[in-house]
This record gives sequence, structure tokens and C-alpha cells, in this order.
Amino acid sequence: MIGILKRDISLLISSKQMIIFMLFYIPLLLFVSESFVPEILYFMILVFYTYMMSTTSFTYDLTGKSKYVINSLPINRNELVIYKYLSIFIYFSITVVYAGVYLWIINILKLADVDYFNLRGIMNAIPTIMIYVSIVFPTFIRFEPRVAQIINIILFMTFSIISSNISYTGDKGALKYLGVLKWEYIMAIALVMYILSLLLSIHLYKNRDI
Amino acid sequence: MDYILEVKNLRKEFKNFTLDNISFNLEPGYIMGFIGPNGAGKSTTIKLIMNLLKKDGGEIRIFGKDHEKYEKEVKNRIGFVYDENYYYEDLTINTMKSVVASFYSNWDDSKFNEYMREFDLNPKAKIKTLSKGMKMKFSLAVALSHNADLIIMDEPTSGLDPVFRREILDILYSVIQDEKKSIFFSTHITTDLEKIADYITFINRGKIVFSKPKDDVLQNYGIVKGGLDILDENARKEFIGIRETKVGFEALTDNMDKTRRMFGNRVLIERATLEDIMVYSVRR
Repeated sequence: MIGILKRDISLLISSKQMIIFMLFYIPLLLFVSESFVPEILYFMILVFYTYMMSTTSFTYDLTGKSKYVINSLPINRNELVIYKYLSIFIYFSITVVYAGVYLWIINILKLADVDYFNLRGIMNAIPTIMIYVSIVFPTFIRFEPRVAQIINIILFMTFSIISSNISYTGDKGALKYLGVLKWEYIMAIALVMYILSLLLSIHLYKNRDI
Repeated sequence: MDYILEVKNLRKEFKNFTLDNISFNLEPGYIMGFIGPNGAGKSTTIKLIMNLLKKDGGEIRIFGKDHEKYEKEVKNRIGFVYDENYYYEDLTINTMKSVVASFYSNWDDSKFNEYMREFDLNPKAKIKTLSKGMKMKFSLAVALSHNADLIIMDEPTSGLDPVFRREILDILYSVIQDEKKSIFFSTHITTDLEKIADYITFINRGKIVFSKPKDDVLQNYGIVKGGLDILDENARKEFIGIRETKVGFEALTDNMDKTRRMFGNRVLIERATLEDIMVYSVRR
């Protein structure tokens, strides 16, 4: 697993697209979301960064010819899928540190007043990411890369719209309606979805032609 | 007998192609050339051996073990080289090496560095900056640096110039001096195999035509040249493939002695090369 993580992080660092996303996504969000609740802005940053890193590395072993390399190395398919699911927590930890430092610098420089560490934001981001990957990962394994990408984009857009609406502080914002949902329930749902999705992905990947 | 690779009744069905219950075995200490025209099923077979494709039937045993059940253990002892570079182009040789090395329990860094020097590869170079030959050498260095007992190669010499090809063949020949190691080598450049292979397995349209020691193949197969007057229906049955011209015919036989007895000095018989065997068998 250390080998794949090393590979994934090396590839993420060497990808120009990922570097551009890592550097400019936070300022972009700050620019377009003046009316957002700071806590939800922080939550969105955590979810988007973790999601981008997880899905990008997930697709390395499913698309392109380099998929033959990793699948020819001494690792079995179950391990590969389990790693993919566990790696989201590693990417999440990286994101918490990276976004924390980035947002802290923004605060120090007085460019904006933003949260750079918020426990509630972190607690809400964890089940959201789990639910998100529970849907996206099996689609990448089951469908052709092009179809999976379309599903992924639809989910990403839906999530962006919902998040923007939740974080909107005006009367029409959905934030006030979400107060009824307890974190424990959402986490329980996320956990069930995550485990079912993991089992489904193991089954799909085991029987898949690379 | 303990085989290093056993393929038994292996089957894989696609929409337009079927790998049809193929079987062959490879003993330790030998090089097996896997030949066949494009689309014959060579890469499919190799992908099935590497468990990149899921088989529809049959059995693959590597080092005497089921290749799916003991996938990790088996792959730890396999070195692979594919027909083109599948490594990540944006990574440097060193980064890619350290990624791959962490998967193998027997990775030998000093051996890898030795190959780097021998192949004149710069460890700091990004893989995308390497020429095709250099990429192939890098793949070969990786395949040979973890004490693999079976090297599986899919068209490793295709697209390489003769100097590079000879270098690679020399390296493979030196690998095989350790009698426990074997090489399974698919190619359509049959002259490479005439130099180094011990066994030849010929596949065509998803079926194994033969799997025999190279010397037996080259001893029994011959090119028969003669006039059209002797090419009656009975004579045709004796040949695997025939090429007719206005002045005569050339045909492939797999039994030179029988052909000599049948036609005497009315025909000229020459030893067939692996290329002749492949071309005439495909044409039949």
C-alpha cells in the first residue's frame, strides 16, 4: 500500500493540472463566495480537495495504459480496491493540513477572514466524502471511462450546487433546513454506504478485465 | 515434471475473437518463444497469464501455483516487459523505480543501479524524455532487478533497431545461464527467437498450432520447391501452405523425410525458417 500511495502522491505532484487546482481553487472559491458562511466554505474546500485527489488517483489504475503496470505488480485486486477506499482518509488528512496552512496565511495577510481549522467543518466533511466516493468509485470500475466521467461530472455539479445553496446565508438558503439532521445519523448512513460500496467495488474489480 | 508455467485449456471469449482452449508448458531454465501473426492471441494470452484479463475457462499455474489464488506470491517472482512503455511518463526513472521497488520483497537496488550504468540511463531523467529503446531498457532493468524466476515479455523487441535488439537478446541469454529462470517471450520478429529460444509455441487465430523444442521444429519443417505438374490433389494434402506461381510452387511441409520419399528429386527441399513456418501456416 505504501508503494501505491507513493506513486499516487508522486503523480499528483507531477501533474500540472493538479498543481493549478491546488494553488488556485481556494482563491477562486473565496472570490466567488463572499456571502458564504465561513464554516461551509471551509467544508467545501475540504470536500473538493479530498475528492479531486481521491478520484484522480483512483482513475490511474483504470484508464490509460499505465493501468497494466500496477496490475502486473505483486498486489492482488482486493488489496488495490481496499487501498483506494482507505486512501481517501489519507488525502483528507493532507487536505486538512494543506488547506489549514493556506487559509491561515490568507488570514495572517488579512486578505480575507476565513476559518483555517474548524472541527465541525471537518466532522461534516468526513461523511460527505464517504458518501461521495461510495457512489463515484463503483461507477469508475463498472463503466467505460467516458461514461464514468459523465456520471462523475453530474455528481460533482449536483454537489457543487447543493453546497452553494446550503452555504448561502440568505432566506432561500437550505442551511436552516439541515439543522434537523443529526451528524450521527448522517455518519451512520455514510458508513453503511461506504462499506456496501467497498464490497461492491471489490466484487466488480475482481471480475473485471483490465 | 515441475513446470515454471503451465497453461491448460485456456479460454477467453471476446465479441470478435476467441482464445480457444490453448495449452502449453514451460520448464525451468529455458526460453520459450511465443510466435504468431498480429491478432493471433499472443497479447491476450500474456494478459491472461498476468491476470489482467479474466479467463473464461482453463487453468494457469505458475511455479506450480494457481495464478489467481496465489496472485501476489506468483507476481513477486515474475518480471514483465510489455510491448511499449506503460510506466508513468511524468515520473523520473528514480521515482518510478522507488514506486515499483516497494512492491517486491526481493528488490535488489544494487542490481538495478548496475543495469542503469550498463544501459547508460540517467536516473534523474523523466520517462517521457527517453527514446523507445531507452524505455525498453528501463523496463528490462526493472524486470531483472527483483530476482524474478520467470520473465514474461510481450513483443519487447518490436520497433527497436537491430543493435538494441541484439543487446536485449544478449542480456536475456545471460539471464538464462541461471538454470532456475525461464523466459516467455512473444514476438513476431522470428529471427530473434532463432538466436535464443529453446522452445517455440506458435499460435494462430486463437489456437495453438504447435508447442515444440525449436530444434525439432527447424529439423522437421521444410520449404519444398517444385514444378506445378506434381501438384495434384494428393500432393496438396501433404503441405501446410502452398504458394503457386506461373512456373512452379513453394510449399511448407512439417515432415521433410516423408516429402523426400514421396517426391524424390522432382522437388528441392530446404530447411524452413520460423518466419517461413509462420507465413505458410497463416496462409493455408
